[in-house]
Amino acid sequence: MEAVEVEVWIAASPETVFDFFTDPGLMVQWMGRVVETDPQPGGGFRLEIRDDTVASGEYVAVEPPERVVFTWDWNSEDSVTKAGSSTVEVLLASERDGTHVRLIHTGLASAESATKHGHGWRHYLDRLATAAAGGDAGPDEFAEA
Amino acid sequence: MKAELANAELEQVDLAARAIAEPRRRQILALVRDEELSAGEIAAHFDVSRPAVSQHLTVLRGAGLLNERREGTSRLYRARPEGLADLRDFMNGFWTERLERLKLAAELEQQRRNKRGKRRDDGGGGRGRGVDRRKP
Repeated sequence: MEAVEVEVWIAASPETVFDFFTDPGLMVQWMGRVVETDPQPGGGFRLEIRDDTVASGEYVAVEPPERVVFTWDWNSEDSVTKAGSSTVEVLLASERDGTHVRLIHTGLASAESATKHGHGWRHYLDRLATAAAGGDAGPDEFAEA
Repeated sequence: MKAELANAELEQVDLAARAIAEPRRRQILALVRDEELSAGEIAAHFDVSRPAVSQHLTVLRGAGLLNERREGTSRLYRARPEGLADLRDFMNGFWTERLERLKLAAELEQQRRNKRGKRRDDGGGGRGRGVDRRKP
């Protein structure tokens, strides 16, 4: 359960393909409704894949036209997701008058990575304790606190 | 968009994705990956209340990531690896399908840009000629 890797060849230049990962007007054509996007390292994005399914994350690397890396989280308004729980790396290479796209999604559910993402732990723990003491809430409900 | 994925499947995977988005739940999964533990034994590894741990167990079970077995008065838990495999299959399907869409959209866009570039060329001139070329 480490990574998912998918490849495709596209009859378009890497420059053109790259724009589909950063330009909201193009992103919307293949990723669902773009709620926001800030394509620079540290900038966030938020996509509505379906009405009730939102994906969000943060750009980690934006290197036109050959590489873009972003974190990826599925969430709903009420879920707790830590940025960085999974990462998507997209590599674009010129090939046969087009672009070879390689997409690698890592850290999907790597249980081992739990400890690596331990920062923010204390903060969350406090919240959890508070909620538990209040006798309230499934773990997802106090995300907004 | 809905037709592309069976709703039930998407919901299940959604549940799994959310379940594992929480770091503590990933830790619980790691704990019970190779051995079966009781709720009490699991809770002993964490600095939070037993009810909070129970909640996590419920979420993980609901997402199909955890098996529960009763033995006498206690409940024993063990990771359900198929649950994670399902999630991976889903993500694989998700990205495969998305990249197909990307391919269609990008190829159309390329044709548009080529036409635009050509028109500019025909229009004879250096002006406005710079179709976005960001070669490293």
